Formats: sequence, C-alpha cells, structure tokens
Amino acid sequence: MGLEAIAEHNGWSIALLGICIVFTGLAVLSFSISRLHKLLNLWDNRHGAIRRIRKGFVSSRNQGPRIMVERSAESLEETVRQYHMLVGTLTDPFALPDLLNLAKKRGLYHPYSTVNDLIKRGYIQPDQKGFFYWKQQTLTKK
Amino acid sequence: MQDLLMQFISNTGFALADYRHLIMIGIGMLFIYLGIAKHYEPLLLVPIGFGILLGNIPVFKGLGLGIYESNSVLHYLYFGVTSGIYPPLIFMGIGAMTDFSTMLARPMLMLLGAAAQMGIFLTFLGALALGFAPNEAASIGIIGGADGPTAIFLTAKLAPKLIGPIAVAAYSYMALVPVIQPPIMKLLTTRKERLIKMEEPRTVSKREKIIFPIIGFLLCCFLAPAALPLLGMLFFGNLLKECVVTERLAVTARNSVIDTVTILLGATVGASTQADVFLTPQSVGIFILGALSFGVATASGLIFAKIMNLFLRDKINPLIGAAGVSAVPDSARVVQVVGQAEDPTNFLLMHAMAPNISGVIGSAIGAGVLWSFMMN
Repeated sequence: MGLEAIAEHNGWSIALLGICIVFTGLAVLSFSISRLHKLLNLWDNRHGAIRRIRKGFVSSRNQGPRIMVERSAESLEETVRQYHMLVGTLTDPFALPDLLNLAKKRGLYHPYSTVNDLIKRGYIQPDQKGFFYWKQQTLTKK
Repeated sequence: MQDLLMQFISNTGFALADYRHLIMIGIGMLFIYLGIAKHYEPLLLVPIGFGILLGNIPVFKGLGLGIYESNSVLHYLYFGVTSGIYPPLIFMGIGAMTDFSTMLARPMLMLLGAAAQMGIFLTFLGALALGFAPNEAASIGIIGGADGPTAIFLTAKLAPKLIGPIAVAAYSYMALVPVIQPPIMKLLTTRKERLIKMEEPRTVSKREKIIFPIIGFLLCCFLAPAALPLLGMLFFGNLLKECVVTERLAVTARNSVIDTVTILLGATVGASTQADVFLTPQSVGIFILGALSFGVATASGLIFAKIMNLFLRDKINPLIGAAGVSAVPDSARVVQVVGQAEDPTNFLLMHAMAPNISGVIGSAIGAGVLWSFMMN
C-alpha cells in the first residue's frame, strides 16, 4: 500500500505517460481542426490563386529580355550603355520613376543606387521641371 | 402436504433474504427515487435502480435465475456488458446526437477536456496506493473520466468482477455533478474570473463538420488504437448525422439503438450489483475514490483554464474548465448555472460544450491508453 505500491507497479510512469498521450492526442486534433477551415478556404479559392500565378508568369514573359549582369563584372561603361538603352525607350525628357520601373522589370541590379550614381556622374540630369534627360555628350566622350 | 408447503416457503425470497439483500434493495429504491422524483439522470438511474432490485431478489441458486448463472436470461443480456458490446453502441448514439461545432469553432478549448482527464490518472495512482491491483486501479481510475460507457467498457476488459460497483459509482457521481462541481468551481475561481464574457464563436461550415469525424477518428485511433471501439463508433455516429444523406441511420442510432442499449445496460449493470459482490470494503474504496476523481478532474480543468489565461489575449472564463469532465451535457449546464449566478447575461453553455465534448474523446483515449498499458 501507499507510495511503495505505486512505485512497484510502475504507477508514476503509467500516469505521466498516460496524461502526456491524452494531451498530445487532443492537442494534435485541436491543431488540425484549427487549420481545417483555412485549408478549405484555400481549396475554394484555388482557381483564383492559379489565375494570379498564371498572370504573374505571362506578364514577366511580355516584359522583354531580362538583362542579368553580374554586379561584380559590370564596368561603368556597360552600366551607362544599358541605361542609355533604357532611356531610349522612354519619352524625352523622362520621369525618373519610369526609368526605375523599367530597370527593375529588365532585371538590372540595384537600380536605385545605379541611377543615383549616374545622376552624380552627370549622365542623367534634371531639367528643373521635375523630369530628367540623358546627357549625350558624356557618353560620346567615353 | 405440509412438507410441500414448507418446501415452497423455504424457496421463497422471504426465507432466503438476509440484511444485505435489504440494504441493496433500499439502494435500488433510492436510485429510482432520485431518478423519478429528483430528475437526477433518470434515463440511467431508473434502469440501474430497477436492475439493482432485479439482482437482489434472493433466489435459490441453480435454477438459472440469477445474472451470474450461465443459463439465465439476465446472463445472456449481461453478455453485452461483459463483452464490451453495449458501450460502443451507446457511443454511436452519442456521436449521432452531438453537435461538434462549438468545439470546431474554438479548438483550443479541447485542451481543457484533456486537462480534466488528469482525474483518471491521479485516481489510478490513488487506487494503487490503496492496494488495488493495477488492472483494478485502471478500472477505478476511469471513473474520473465521468463517462459511464467508457467506464463499463474498460472494466469489462480489465476487471469484470468490479463492473457493478464501478458502474454504480460512475453513474451516481455523474448524476451528482450539479452537487459535486459548484463548490469546487467557486473555491478555485475569483468573482472577477467568473464574470469574464467570451466572444461569440465563429460559424462552422457543413464541410468542416463532415470532415472532422474522419480526421478525428484517424488521428485519435492512430495514436491510441485501443480506443478504436469507442472512438470509432463515436465518430461513425457523428458522420452519419453530419453527412445528412444517412439521416435515417442517424435517427435510428440516436433514438432506437441508444435507448434499447441503455435499457439493457442499465438493467443488467444494476442486476450485477448483488449484495455479496457489492457490499464489500472494496466497494467503499471505489466510491471514495470515485468522488475524489470527479473532484480532481473538475479542479484540473479549472486550473488549466487559469493557466491558459496567462498566455491568452482574449481571456476564457475559467469556469468552462469544469466542463472538461465529460458528463455531457450536465457539467456544461452546471457551468452555465454558476456563471449566470454571477451575471445573468453571461451565456457560457455553448462555450462549455467544447471542453465537455472533447472530454468524451479524451476519456476514450485515456481508456485506450490504460487498456494498452495493462495488456502488456
């Protein structure tokens, strides 16, 4: 009798393990149920999700070739040439956000810092009316 | 002629009765009174009470009348108890009448049902400490699950000779839940906690209610295969109800089947409580442990709810922890009553049903776990 009887029959282990198993079972069931309605919502909206994914693929295909140039291998001349090509597709003068968006779509790395660099170097200059233009002379000299 | 008359008189119950039969008949009448006059679980106490009367009429052994005589009608009916047939059928009916949506709406409350099952294992330890054998202790411990069919099922497998006292203890305390729980609830909670109002649960879709019994069955029975008969039938009954296309079967399960089995189970369990089996020091120990198990289970659920509140932004009313005691739906009703005594506008019943129902699942898993431990 007493605590010795419990220890003799492995009572402590049985009780502790039993409590853990019951808790684990109900916890796992509880977690599964909590995710169930979200999974069902995902299943219901699967067509919309597939459509959104397809749209993403199609629009990236229509954007033109992505220029993937390793930043380490780019020389300033190459950068200037690439951005001159992009500016050539825009209006003259152009809005800076348009150039940045185009650079992002074409996959050019770090467009903001690159454009900032080109402005500092004088390749891109403001027209004092909120727009920018490409300074041809700098490129020709190079 | 005189000899024939004397022989007849000596075979009557009046000649064969002793004080123990009278005590048991008194207990049977008490159960019938509690069921009819006081409305304490009448669907259980009336059959059990009358069964006690059936089993304690003094009869001459060998005539095939008593429940323990192999060729008696009562013995054949009792086979459904000893072989574990009746409890799974009752669970099927319970599944067919239970709406799991409150549990599905806030699954976290299932952990309160798990916490209340600590009563099973702590009572198991208490029974071992009192000198009961491990299989007997496991059968006594399951009283703490507050689930009559589960208690009978496990006891039939592990300690068949204790079915009578364990079943009577389990059902008696289930009927006395409105008496046992409120003092513990008030002792372990503050007024401020009892006044907590919980937000409305979300609406649960039909698909969730259909998928849940399948997922629940697979998860629970993979974890505790020994719970297969009880949980399998519980979730099967629930699927019959929720899928709608088998409404006829669900109606049969929650009406004819469960009522028939309840009658046979109650009457035969009552009849098995014969005086020489029931009126023993062991039975006294079982009753004391049974009362303790209900108290411990209630306290465990309440305390765990308070612990959960330490981590939750939207607090839960800790009273619903007491509903983890799986006396469905009585303990949920007790929570409602105690909550409304503090604030009449606080409706806790639907929140309390979540741990109440998960307690049924938890007690079945606990029974399966104990059975598998004792089998090894």
